[in-house]
Amino acid sequence: MELLRPRTIAEATAALRDGAVALAGGTEVVPLLRDGPLLAARLVPLAGVVPRGVDGRRATPEAEQSHEVGAAAATAAPRPVLRVGAGTTLAELEVDPEIPAALREACRLAASPQLRSMGTLGGNLLQATRCWYWRLHSGCWLQGGDRCHAREGEHREHAFFGNGRCASAHPSDPAAALLALGATLRTDRRELPLSELYRLPRDDDRSTTTLAADELLLELEVPSPDASVYLKAMDRKRFAFALVGVAAARSGGEVRIALAGAAPIPWLLAAPDALDEATPLPGTSYKVEVARTLVDRALEAVAP
Amino acid sequence: MLESLELTVNGDRHALDAPVGRSLAEVLRDDLGLTGTKIACYEGHCGACTVLLDGVPALSCITLVHAVGGRGVTTIEGLREHPLVDAFVREDALQCGFCTPGQIVSASALLAANPRPTREEIGHAMAGNLCRCGAYRNIEAAIASVGGGR
Repeated sequence: MELLRPRTIAEATAALRDGAVALAGGTEVVPLLRDGPLLAARLVPLAGVVPRGVDGRRATPEAEQSHEVGAAAATAAPRPVLRVGAGTTLAELEVDPEIPAALREACRLAASPQLRSMGTLGGNLLQATRCWYWRLHSGCWLQGGDRCHAREGEHREHAFFGNGRCASAHPSDPAAALLALGATLRTDRRELPLSELYRLPRDDDRSTTTLAADELLLELEVPSPDASVYLKAMDRKRFAFALVGVAAARSGGEVRIALAGAAPIPWLLAAPDALDEATPLPGTSYKVEVARTLVDRALEAVAP
Repeated sequence: MLESLELTVNGDRHALDAPVGRSLAEVLRDDLGLTGTKIACYEGHCGACTVLLDGVPALSCITLVHAVGGRGVTTIEGLREHPLVDAFVREDALQCGFCTPGQIVSASALLAANPRPTREEIGHAMAGNLCRCGAYRNIEAAIASVGGGR
């Protein structure tokens, strides 16, 4: 393996165009390279290339003056938007008081302290499924094979939405939080709502993101809601993937809800009763009930 | 491909050659003889390989040595004089001892950032260090005893 040393975004994307694999925190890429699902002749380290840290944290001048100008003017003031570099670690976000509660809590409840110190937000959003049939490189449908082994096999941790082809469940807690918060993404070539980063895999294209092979995720814009929360059901109290994660964010009268551990991609729930349209497998029907309870609790938590 | 690098471990600078893809844990153990850092799961789950990079706990088994850059590495050998070492013995915080170096490295970072952690804060900071002997209660007690015993 060869290690490249890009100094600019252009150098990094050129290397990706030639088939190199991007390396950020390495918590996902390094084990996948060892185990086989990922092959790379060249690695492109992104440290120092992709932005890291939280920017634009100051409130707008109007909001800063809200004590003087009164409540009516304060609510009319533009909402502050945080710019979060894709290279920011989950550990940095977990303790940042400026970060909306849903994202902070999603980071705090993700993985282990060491993994949160190493893993970046961009890497977390682009992580692969935890489905063991995929991890063990079994030639499943998502890997180009004929069928999803989880449907007839072990699928207790799997999906209850969007699982017609691949039954895996997207594991990212921060992705659910950012979907509920209505975050937007900036890559090296475009801006898009986070919801448009993900797509359900199809027979003719089995990728779960719309990112081009040489496209680099650079920064997220995270609006500040009036209230937000992230709740996570796990097999144990700490250091476990979400069986179901529920993020809710309220901005004015609008509440957005998003789920982790629910579908092959992070899943925006159109309304609480959209859970009635879930398509669980025999082993994941319990997740729908868990989701109902967590959605109720989340709505209560963000209510005015 | 062999590529040369410089690594600062416990304050000592080392110049060495390693193939790209080699982990920091392997370099520490096999090239530098610092075998206090343990490799157990070799996939970033168990925490036995925990070291500090510029004071921040990291998993050396899934850290590529060429990605360490200028960050200073601290291993258990660099924490010989840390009061946690005596505390782990005093509180009987180990049985087989294999996870202990990683436990102490993680705990040292917690106490550096938060000298008097609550039990909840200890639980949160130590969640990435598994102990298959199940000595968790005594590990928590050892850390609490150094951190003021709350």
